[in-house]
Amino acid sequence: MTPTEALLSTRNLTVKYPYGDVQNVVIDELNLDLYPGQIVGLLGESGSGKSSLALALMGLARHPGVVSGEVNFRGQDLLKMDDEELRQIRGNSIGLITQKPRQALDPLVNVGKQISRVYRAHSQASKEEGQIRAVELLRSVGINDAERRVDAYPHELSGGMAQRALISMALSVEPDLLIADEPTSGLDVTIQAQFLDRMWERARDANIAVLIVTQDLGIVANYCDRIVIMEDGKIIEDRTTVEFFADPQTDYGKKLILSSGADARASNADVAVITSPEILRVTNLRKTFEVDGGKRLQAVSNASFQIYKGRSLGLVGESGSGKTTVGRLILRLADPDSGEVWFKGERIDSISPKEFRKYRSKIQAVFQDPFDSLNPRWPIERVIREPLDLHTQLSKEEKLARVKELVSLVGLTDDILPLRPGSLSAGQQQRVSLARALATEPEFLILDEPTSALPPAARADMIRLLKSLQERLDLCFIFISHDLSTVRELCHDIAVMYLSEIVEMGTSEQVFSAPSHPYTRALLDSVLFHDPNNRRVDRKVKTELEGEIPSPVDLPNGCYLAARCPIAEQRCRDDHQELIQIGPSRSVRCWKSVEASQ
Amino acid sequence: MRRYVLRRLAVGVLQALGITIAVFFVIRALPADPVSRIVGMNPTPESIAQARKALGLDMSLFQQLLSFLGFHGNGVFTGSLGTSWVSGSTILSEIAITLPTTIQLIVTSFIVALAVAIPIGMATARRPGGKLDKGVFGYGLFAGAQPEFWWGLIFIFVFYFKLGIAPAPLGMLDPELTAPDAVTNFVLIDSLIAGDFTAFKSALGHLVLPVLTLSFLLVGPLLKMTQQSMSRVLSSEFILYQQASGLEKKSIGRSTLRSALAPIITLTGILFGFMLSGAVLVESVFSLNGLGQYSVAAVLNLDFPAVQGVILVISVISLFVYLGLDLLLAKIDPRILVK
Repeated sequence: MTPTEALLSTRNLTVKYPYGDVQNVVIDELNLDLYPGQIVGLLGESGSGKSSLALALMGLARHPGVVSGEVNFRGQDLLKMDDEELRQIRGNSIGLITQKPRQALDPLVNVGKQISRVYRAHSQASKEEGQIRAVELLRSVGINDAERRVDAYPHELSGGMAQRALISMALSVEPDLLIADEPTSGLDVTIQAQFLDRMWERARDANIAVLIVTQDLGIVANYCDRIVIMEDGKIIEDRTTVEFFADPQTDYGKKLILSSGADARASNADVAVITSPEILRVTNLRKTFEVDGGKRLQAVSNASFQIYKGRSLGLVGESGSGKTTVGRLILRLADPDSGEVWFKGERIDSISPKEFRKYRSKIQAVFQDPFDSLNPRWPIERVIREPLDLHTQLSKEEKLARVKELVSLVGLTDDILPLRPGSLSAGQQQRVSLARALATEPEFLILDEPTSALPPAARADMIRLLKSLQERLDLCFIFISHDLSTVRELCHDIAVMYLSEIVEMGTSEQVFSAPSHPYTRALLDSVLFHDPNNRRVDRKVKTELEGEIPSPVDLPNGCYLAARCPIAEQRCRDDHQELIQIGPSRSVRCWKSVEASQ
Repeated sequence: MRRYVLRRLAVGVLQALGITIAVFFVIRALPADPVSRIVGMNPTPESIAQARKALGLDMSLFQQLLSFLGFHGNGVFTGSLGTSWVSGSTILSEIAITLPTTIQLIVTSFIVALAVAIPIGMATARRPGGKLDKGVFGYGLFAGAQPEFWWGLIFIFVFYFKLGIAPAPLGMLDPELTAPDAVTNFVLIDSLIAGDFTAFKSALGHLVLPVLTLSFLLVGPLLKMTQQSMSRVLSSEFILYQQASGLEKKSIGRSTLRSALAPIITLTGILFGFMLSGAVLVESVFSLNGLGQYSVAAVLNLDFPAVQGVILVISVISLFVYLGLDLLLAKIDPRILVK
């Protein structure tokens, strides 16, 4: 693309936060040009000033920051405009989508009124016209039942729905520049793909300039023409995406590209005949929760699988699919409504909590949020020692030796032992959690999204660590995640869950190379490879899912996917689907897939 | 909604009754004998016995409670709080005189305090570290460090004694005026009903210094709360987003205030309940015959029925104030469900 005249250009843009007499400089004399029709990815570590820059481009700063310098939008300096001129540009010529959609909506006002307010701020429309426009806009971003939804308050919307409401607001006035600050960070992968595709089309068709703030190389590689990397309020790298991926110039860029190498290929050799002993067996597990109004939410239904020694099962699915609940049921953090859990030939779901205690040292877990799962008042040494105190009779010296051994096992050094969790990075905290889980030499681990709260580089490190531990300790685990590339990297077998059910099961190789269920296919299609030469927007995507995940309270009679499925027929809407075996260690819950496999 | 209000009222009435009964027993457990206050010096055993009988103290505690509640003749359940042991008039009639004085004082003070605290709090939250903010900080140090009666005395000294612009701190009206016919016992309202504007002006004048004193203290916490709540909302995502969406300043200002209001309302409720009897020092300094003064006198005189009555009345008023504020909060914030 040949850049024409810049739509927006900043000169010496500076954002400062006064703290008493000290000035905290977040954006430091920054110069940046944005061109029409170009999608720019803004990268950088948290705290580098990305989000502040996104706001400063509209002449805004988070209270009580101060913006100075120049922001020239179509030749006019935003920072020299009076309030009224500026107001006309914001939300009209420049649209913003923020990271936290629900927080960006006023909690006290219903969505329709908020959309209508923005619309009316830039037009002469009456209240009634605004309300009508709000319904139209909500419908245009794929919200079913828009007439009723306009009356909903933000807390009554799901994250995805709030995001759509924001998008509809930002796009309602057809801006020339769209600024999107981590627009998909709270969204599930299939919804994320939907949104980004639409935004990409929009930028191409209407020739608008887009700036996406993100930490996700996948988004950058697939959708951005150009990359800008920030550090300490300055731009340190600014080039086209293809150039960047071929040859990153800065340390941060190199680290980022290096961390993306982790998701390249699956490397777990497939074992066709499994000879190792069974560790865990789950049969027909079912769990429902009561929600307001006496209705029941179906969290898990008919889940059955086995895990053998030295193997790992990846449990994948989007939010609300029930994957975390399966883990909690095995750990006895919740009791199943029906079904059985067997650990090494002994049934553990119906024994008393007291009896279960002896299995606690054998079955351990690592959870998503590293900080929440560590006692902030304990030094690391005590955190890791705790399971040894509870489950072993070791002497003080033996325990200390074991703690040191564990710390080095997870790639940390002894000097963190006297520190408290608060002074460690998220990646280090998660390693501590892992060391604690490994303390009692468990035979089985449940890893519930252990990498998803980590920044990209720490995530790659964590995956490498898990992989090496898997080989060294012959670990057997369930890895719960919505991140398919990580699962592919780490797991021998995969179970894909959708709305409380397992829809497809098989070895990683089988499922990734030849996904059978339409949902699995859509899920795999929405993976954004970290490769600008293999972009989702260039592939012709066949299996895009429509709309949103239905509520697990009012489940449809037929196949749970039918409403979103591109190949659904009447039979799918009528008959509930069973999980049917279609090959050795491979099964699928879709009659069409079963027929296709025969 | 209606069911919620009814349930809250029912629970509240039980609470008020529970508190009153608890107070009933606690004051009787005090190591002081109300009879000795009534019979005077060197009483004969007969006069003591007679006094005990007259006060009903010869009955068992349980019987006393039953008669207080109204199982033997008039009591709480029949709308009577008994007669004062000191003055002989009914407690209700005494409260009917003293309560309006206090309510008039504190309601006016709250109106003044909120009218001052909210705009200043909003302005200082917008410009932290500005001149106004520094001034407010100074006020906080200054006002917070001194008791209210002291401020009352200083105000009297300056405005009455030195400048001579305020009326003498003696009651609610100039002594040469006759009080308007008592209809509501709120002097301001009664003088308006009687069409007596001289009395109205005088009553208003007499309110100025006590209200100044009380609101001078109320502004402190209310201002602080407004400031904190406003700066929390100002730095919130949705206000930022409204700015980014190009909404008009006025509209953003309204959203901010509405979101910031909840903690201010809650604090107002708490302070109001506290002030019902807590305004006693200000009442003393300005010789206002209010509920605070009345309750202190009742305790000092060991006038058990008066103490019980005052506590019951205060808890019922607090009950309505809290209920009203909760309904107001639910009206403002759709996340608060009224079920």
